[in-house]
Amino acid sequence: MNILLIEINPFASATTPISLGYIAAYLKSNGFGVKILAVGEDMSLSCSGFHELINSFKPALVGLTAYQRTMLYVKGFAGLIKSIDNNIKIIIGGPQATFMPSSSFAVLADIDYICRSSGEVTLLRIARAVDSGTPFSDLLGVSYKDSDGAVYDTPEIEAFTDLDQYSSPYLNDVFDYSCMREAIMLTSRGCPHHCIYCYTPQAFKHKITFHSVDRVIEEIKWISKKGVKRLWFADPNISFKPERLIELLDRILSENLKFEMWMQTRADLVTKELMKKMKQAGVKTIAFGLESASEQVLTKLGKHLAVEKVAQAIRMAQQQKIDVELFTIFGLPYESFDDAVKTLEFVKKNNVKIMGNTNSQQMQIYFGTHLAGHYKDYNIRPLNTDRPAYISIGSQYETEYIRTSELHEIQNMWRAHSLDGGKRIVS
Amino acid sequence: MIKTAIHKIYVILGKENKGDLEQLSRTLSGLFSYVNMTSNLYLVAGNLPESMPQVERIQKDVIKFLRENLFARLYLHFVHAIPQTTVKGIDYYFQYYYQYLKRETREFDQEGYVYQEVPRFMLLPVIVPGNRLEPALLITLLDTLKGDFMLPCLYLDRSVFFLAQDKDLMARTEKVYYGNDDSREPAAIACNMFNGDLLNDSLEMLTSEDRFVPGPCQASLIISAQDGKVYTCLDAFRKNQSLTDIYKSNSVDALMTLYYEHGGSKRDCLECRARVPESFADLPISQRRKQRIGALLCHFGTLYHDAGDDIQAVEKYEQSLKLSLVQEAGHINFRLGLGYTNIGRFDQAVKAFNNAELTYQSQYYFHFYKGRCYFEMGDYQAALSEFLQALHLKPQQEDLVKILIYAGSCHNSLGEYEEAAVVLEKAEKASGHVKEIYNALGFSYFQLKNYDKAIEKLLMAVEIDPCSAVDYASLGANYREKGDFDKAIVMYEKALALDPDMILASENLERLKKRI
Ligand code: B12
Ligand code: SF4
Ligand code: SF4
Repeated sequence: MNILLIEINPFASATTPISLGYIAAYLKSNGFGVKILAVGEDMSLSCSGFHELINSFKPALVGLTAYQRTMLYVKGFAGLIKSIDNNIKIIIGGPQATFMPSSSFAVLADIDYICRSSGEVTLLRIARAVDSGTPFSDLLGVSYKDSDGAVYDTPEIEAFTDLDQYSSPYLNDVFDYSCMREAIMLTSRGCPHHCIYCYTPQAFKHKITFHSVDRVIEEIKWISKKGVKRLWFADPNISFKPERLIELLDRILSENLKFEMWMQTRADLVTKELMKKMKQAGVKTIAFGLESASEQVLTKLGKHLAVEKVAQAIRMAQQQKIDVELFTIFGLPYESFDDAVKTLEFVKKNNVKIMGNTNSQQMQIYFGTHLAGHYKDYNIRPLNTDRPAYISIGSQYETEYIRTSELHEIQNMWRAHSLDGGKRIVS
Repeated sequence: MIKTAIHKIYVILGKENKGDLEQLSRTLSGLFSYVNMTSNLYLVAGNLPESMPQVERIQKDVIKFLRENLFARLYLHFVHAIPQTTVKGIDYYFQYYYQYLKRETREFDQEGYVYQEVPRFMLLPVIVPGNRLEPALLITLLDTLKGDFMLPCLYLDRSVFFLAQDKDLMARTEKVYYGNDDSREPAAIACNMFNGDLLNDSLEMLTSEDRFVPGPCQASLIISAQDGKVYTCLDAFRKNQSLTDIYKSNSVDALMTLYYEHGGSKRDCLECRARVPESFADLPISQRRKQRIGALLCHFGTLYHDAGDDIQAVEKYEQSLKLSLVQEAGHINFRLGLGYTNIGRFDQAVKAFNNAELTYQSQYYFHFYKGRCYFEMGDYQAALSEFLQALHLKPQQEDLVKILIYAGSCHNSLGEYEEAAVVLEKAEKASGHVKEIYNALGFSYFQLKNYDKAIEKLLMAVEIDPCSAVDYASLGANYREKGDFDKAIVMYEKALALDPDMILASENLERLKKRI
């Protein structure tokens, strides 16, 4: 049986669809035929071309990654797929799906399942169910809508705590390397912290799980053979266990693996020694989450990070000549216009170039975050109460402390200081 | 492998004709199945009042397509002149045309708001202003359009280039297209717009990869609503090579089958892309952009050179020089010099090399190439001076020998046989088995009347190349001078056996035979 996995981002060039890669590798090693379609703005794809793909690959199941900003496109593709073959089952998964209310089924006519747990194990179960002709029996980790339109939520399914149990998307060769400029690595998942605007801790139950260094090195060697020269580490906190990161960097050095690398981590998880090693091993850029430079705002975000700590981390990186990116957001709970300006001032004062990921953006309230469930407690007022059930508040809100016009003003101030027009890459 | 989708469709509108409009509408609606998820539709009108029914109808088709296909995004650019020059006239345009078209598309703005993303449908009026339109009026119009969620663009032809100097106006313009002529014919405007995008595409590629090899541009179709002809790209349109006629054959699938069979693949994209930049050179664009265009032309020159077409290469380098940064001039002149050398225009080559002197004077190969030009021009003194400079700069081993041979040959040509012998002996030491060394040494020693040495060297030459008639003839001459006529005859006969037309050998042979 064949399964097609699709990730759509019409607003940027396609990146390595790493999460779909994991799912594809896992399904593949369990005997299913899998294809990944990463549709970026630079891809050439028409209805007719898509038709041909479905007719030749004949998937029985299609998985679509859902982000808030791509929901319309997800709906569109789902509609097209069903118009080609109404028997194809469609599942959505990913950041927008995990905590999407099940009431969304009512307005997502063509979607059969919403993935709630680890994509790999959840989808394998569904694939087996579809394959055996009973697509809605014995499922876990999903919500689904059966053929009569009744909606069910199933119990969760446990994810593996040892990530090596997930087949490697690299070693199982599920990606197309012809236009891959940068490989995305995911050496750990989840985060134990409690930042109220973040999706990760809820999705991974405040736990962090790891791949072994051996497995990561094996993957890097494979990627190197494929001629890719840049690695982008997607781990939210790659230095969560500093000794593990040191070991990884040491191995990269001793195995003479030459890459340009990007990493992100918390500013309180780096030391001079670590930075030195990073530089030696080829880390070109390090990104820290600052969010706000106002101490009083920061303390209320659950981030437990002092602004001075971030300034220190920046200096350490700059001393090693590692480029620094700072993730910042405005429109945070309790943040006034003046607080927001402080953040911009901090970035400028610390000589961090305002471009790429350092371009700031308004906070987005996504499903699954603490804020999405408790926005009222933080005096956040949604501006559009007439949203489809599958769309969360996003950036359409005001707070008691900042009005829409001020949010626009802050946005414009950042843009005016931006060296590249203000487009952020990661959210 | 998924087949390529059409990214851009240009429709050149004409006078309205009901039957034709029906057919055009049917064709475009059919083509939407083949367009990219994000695509651009350009409707190029002469004047709006005349083309409005067509624009309106096509917009309706687009809206229908987008409503049915939520994954599709389309930018509709409608290009038209504004002959109006008064506030009232402009206001009339806004009310009757722009607002009318915009009203029909509001649902997509609403949808964009709900999904917190850029709307899937965007209207981009491309205004072709007349030269009597006050910039202030135009600014007001652009502001109003922006306020109504449209992205206004300008198409400036020669008669209104002065508008490009107006900073306030430019700041309000989403995009500026340039026409390098005064024509306001829709076909000419479409070509110039396409050219502009093609140039941008080439410049972007150059930025991301400085050795890019030009392939086809984004897949596009040009449809002339005036006669129903369809073209696969600008190049086909320019050369009037249409794919089909939608007013005669009305199946879109057949059209697209033809497209995929004939597609861009058979076109000479280098030629097409390399034609464009020069026409943008004297447009009112920034200095920085001109320099980038200069760099692009230089790159095209290199590609032509690599493909063995130095005539084209030289033309591109010459164009590039007019635009590029002063700092780049040395490099471009150097390549220009090589190009001229390859097409045998040595005087021009020397000129170009002279202009590259400052940048390249410390490079031995520069002096070598320049010396070769003088050599070919017969200016052995100048050539020798370059070769000696090259030698002074410690050339790489494989070049060292070549330079020494050339230097030796210069000395020979200047009658400096002893110097020639010294230099050529050095070449022999450096490399040994090279025929040209022995041949030239043979000549030097012959002139110095050292016939034994000459014979020794020439024998080496024929050992390396037993088919070298000239060297056998030279051997003949040396034996003759030594008085060894029998051997001389043998050598001349060998020379003639290899090259029966060698007059020098046959005359000498005759004379020798007579003497005996
Ligand atoms: C690394 C990262 C990226 C990387 C790589 C993403 C990736 N993993 O493929 C890059 C830079 C490409 C990226 C881009 C963007 N990102 Co991002 N990203 C992250 C980050 C930091 C970590 C995500 C991660 O790797 N998690 C670990 C993996 C294992 O989890 P996962 O992707 O959720 O996948 C699991 C399940 O969700 C499920 N699953 C995933 N996909 C699918 C599909 C199917 C069919 C099924 C069944 C299951 C399934 O299975 C997976 C394994 O169990 C998170 C924030 C965070 N701290 O977590 C934001 C985050 C996911 N990104 C976010 C956003 C908004 C974006 C962008 C839209 C930003 C932008 N402005 O363009 C783009 C969109 C990219 C796209 N393809 O459309 C938001 C998503 C919010 C939302 N609800 O839409 C997040 C949550 C950040 C935030 N603001 O809170 N991102
Ligand atoms: S923002 Fe970073 S530190 Fe905070 S919860 Fe999310 S991943 Fe963890
Ligand atoms: S010849 Fe090539 S570059 Fe020129 S318009 Fe056609 S496809 Fe584009």
